Amino acid sequence: MVSFRVPLWIPAAFLAPALLGLLVFRLGPILIALVGGFTGTTLRGDTVYVGLRNYADLAEDPTFWSSIRVTLLFNLIVNPFQICCAMGLALLVLRPTRGVALFRAAYLLPMTVSIALTSVIWSILLEPSVGPVNGLLRALGLPPQPFFRSENQSLATLILVCTWKGAGYWMIFLLAGLLAIPRELHEAAAIDGAGSWQRFLRITLPLMRRPLAFVLVADTAINFLLFAPVYVITHGGPAGSTALLMFEAYQAAFAFLNHGRSLAISTVILAIIGVIAVLELRLFRAAHERAE
Amino acid sequence: MTKIARRGLGRLGLAAGAAATLGGGAARAQTPTTLKVIWMGWPDNQVNPLMEWFEKRNPSIKLAVEKIPFNQIFQTIEVRLQARNADPDIFICDSPLTASYGARGHLMDLTPHLDASRFAKSALAASTYDGKLASAPFGSSMQVMFYNKALFKEAGVAPPPADVAQRWTWEKTVEAARKLTDAAKGQWGYAFEQSERPYQLLPLGQSLGGVALSPDGFKATGFIDSPAFVEAYTWMQRLYTDWKVSPQGQFDPNIPVEMFGNGKIAMLVAGTFSVATLQQRFPNLDFGVAPIPYFEKGKPVTPTGAWHFAINPRTRNQAQTLTFLNDFMTEELHSLWFKLRPYPPVLKSIWDSEKATFDTDMWRIVRHELDNTALPRPATPGFREYEDLVRVALRDIQTGADVKTALSGAAQRIDREMQKYR
Amino acid sequence: MTPAPAGRLVLGALRYAAMVVVAAVLLLPIWWILVSAVRPGSEIFRYASDVGWRTLVPEQLTLEHVRTMLGSDMPRAVFNSMVVSLTTVAAGTMINAAAGFAFAVFAFPFKRALFAFVLLTFMMPFEAIVIPLYTLIRTLDWTNTYAALIVPDLANGLVVFLFRQFFLGIPREIYEAARVDGASWWTIFLRLTMPLSGPTIATAALMQFIHQWDAFFWPLVAASTPELIVVQVAIARNITLEQANWGGLFASASTAILLAMIPFLLLQRYFIRTVTASPDK
Repeated sequence: MVSFRVPLWIPAAFLAPALLGLLVFRLGPILIALVGGFTGTTLRGDTVYVGLRNYADLAEDPTFWSSIRVTLLFNLIVNPFQICCAMGLALLVLRPTRGVALFRAAYLLPMTVSIALTSVIWSILLEPSVGPVNGLLRALGLPPQPFFRSENQSLATLILVCTWKGAGYWMIFLLAGLLAIPRELHEAAAIDGAGSWQRFLRITLPLMRRPLAFVLVADTAINFLLFAPVYVITHGGPAGSTALLMFEAYQAAFAFLNHGRSLAISTVILAIIGVIAVLELRLFRAAHERAE
Repeated sequence: MTKIARRGLGRLGLAAGAAATLGGGAARAQTPTTLKVIWMGWPDNQVNPLMEWFEKRNPSIKLAVEKIPFNQIFQTIEVRLQARNADPDIFICDSPLTASYGARGHLMDLTPHLDASRFAKSALAASTYDGKLASAPFGSSMQVMFYNKALFKEAGVAPPPADVAQRWTWEKTVEAARKLTDAAKGQWGYAFEQSERPYQLLPLGQSLGGVALSPDGFKATGFIDSPAFVEAYTWMQRLYTDWKVSPQGQFDPNIPVEMFGNGKIAMLVAGTFSVATLQQRFPNLDFGVAPIPYFEKGKPVTPTGAWHFAINPRTRNQAQTLTFLNDFMTEELHSLWFKLRPYPPVLKSIWDSEKATFDTDMWRIVRHELDNTALPRPATPGFREYEDLVRVALRDIQTGADVKTALSGAAQRIDREMQKYR
Repeated sequence: MTPAPAGRLVLGALRYAAMVVVAAVLLLPIWWILVSAVRPGSEIFRYASDVGWRTLVPEQLTLEHVRTMLGSDMPRAVFNSMVVSLTTVAAGTMINAAAGFAFAVFAFPFKRALFAFVLLTFMMPFEAIVIPLYTLIRTLDWTNTYAALIVPDLANGLVVFLFRQFFLGIPREIYEAARVDGASWWTIFLRLTMPLSGPTIATAALMQFIHQWDAFFWPLVAASTPELIVVQVAIARNITLEQANWGGLFASASTAILLAMIPFLLLQRYFIRTVTASPDK
């Protein structure tokens, strides 16, 4: 561990600009939003204190619980899946041989398509009757698929679309981590007779725990907060199969004009991400303590 | 200066006088005032000329116009209005949201400033909340059935007549659609433009005598899930799952128009604005128009309603916003607007002043529908909630859900959301 | 066991084959966007479902959409988004790196609590804080200014977290040696930590750039005058419920995608091994 003991003003000076910005433009509004979870809006648009009623309403609402289930299922799959894909890509383009720069750029390209545009494009590509993907399936003699329009395929399709956009993005962070591992460690292990899989497990993974912890926590937060594709493509359907919590929060605020409920859902989302992030950080710290 | 302009300025004088007592414009009349206007993100060439026309007439008023993309416009206006201050001065308002904004105190009462006798009946109905004119009608809407003449000829089917007296029934439409569908070629007989929106689909149930929402605007159970709607949407579902004459799961309203343009859909019920798209993008397409069909045992019902604009009651520039209102209700501006974007006019006089333009099958049908069959969407402060939940149910029905269950489920959720307005 | 030269060749070939296949899967949708930007409007959906070579190769090329786009507010939007994104990257990277450095290197009271606070800031849905944030910006009288678009996003909890994680990997001995030489912490941060962190800075810069380049809802709320239009808003304005200008959509989307690649291409050279203690180098 690094942690130098220095006069307080030194860390304070390093922290001040960022923490001040976060305090004013994030924490302040967040506190207002948290308080807002205990309020309701009257017909005239006035805000009134309602205690725990928004939360009690959520607890009794089957759509809320079904949305929790969908959200957890989605995240349980999408986060590990994206990170495995990202790790695969990072290892693939790690060695800077001829033309690799081009492939790195290519894998990053989907990330430059904004999430709103990603939604529009994939909604067209996966359109059941005129979409090119089904056109391709037909050309290959395979039956066309409903994708987003089927209760059974919608969530899986959503995960694949998110991974299309996200894999290259997270690849970059993992690549940065892999590049920080001294090559000598690998070379020494190779001389000791370790195979490449063993070297990956014994050297790469332990040294990648901090980048991985970052990617895992960041990916979890981003995926829990995702809703644009749901808003644009599925609207939570079919039959609630893609009704992510964040979409419910968004709808509560902007379609149902029930800001108290929306802020209560947002608070629940914040709490879930917080708990999962702590667990994820613990997981990586434990791994590192075992390693040392 | 034209006669109309002078009349406009006369009224401005009165309004400015009234506002002076509020500590408003008179003192600042010399320096230009800027009005903040939130407008729909229509293409620049359909918005800027209107605003330039206004600024030229009123050198003392500048307009800061924010053109918001359609997908975000309700959300953006919502955040801005929630802050409950003087910003924006004027905002575009989807007509069925009049009651929602009105109930929450976001609309200035325009009754003293609008001459109701100048407007079409349906436009007035959509702008009225709590007995007052709360939003200013700016453009109406209507749908017609477009059909591809070549595909009809090829299938040997006689096309639907443009005459409203010989309007096709839905039963006959399906019969034709089945002959016009060719799965191997990816060709579909029939499609709705907005295949998941209450705007287009409520008239199906209404055609069978259904009432979409209780008259007081707060109860959906027993209305949207009544037998008329169940029957209508069961029929609609069969288009996709049974007869397979319509492309299933095509919820993006812009795609069916492209498919019609490419000869992959034979009949399309779509908004009048699609004419421009079809004519510009597909100049070789030979298409005809017919009125919207109706159920054999029911009556013809068509959708309407469109864009209004509203004034923020908290504006600090009341005199100038009233000038805006006044000028944007002139015949001169409306005929300019109609040329830029041909929505069915809300000012009755435009039908006469643009006679030559309206001398087509489509406009004859539109005028008849607006006078006889058009039914605005239900007036309720909870329209956003209502529309959204019905939309989700209509999507599920199209992709195969049980009709009655989907509608009842939506109705219960609507009733729950409506409680906050009681 | 190092593979024999022949085995290494096969492995290398397999690696390139895999890279090509992955690239094809990831890039085909983008190719479709780019191609649609230079196709006549009537052709865009014509070959969408009858997949063949025409789906991917336009028969007729047209610059119509590109020309229309250049005459629209897209150039203005590109300029604005560039100003906002680059300013955020320039100022934000420094601010967030400094905070990440403090979390990684120093011991100080309430460190865990402050770090938890940093993490908290990126876990709250933005839509939940947009109304208070807008009220704040109005109070500051920043509506319709670049400041409204830039300042709230300079400090970024995710980026602080990123820097902290990667700075933790720098061994303590390096700092100790520098302290013995009498370097101040500011000098150490600027002259030692930052130069050792090329890939980290590059990823942080990209992250902030993309975050601002993709900004959509906040600009609409806080600064939506025509003068301050941003890229994503200009793109989205091509689509309404009533009409879609597909050509315009794809032309502006292509522009946004290709321009967003520039920072990566510029930063690409930093994606190399930085920590090398190898004696032969």
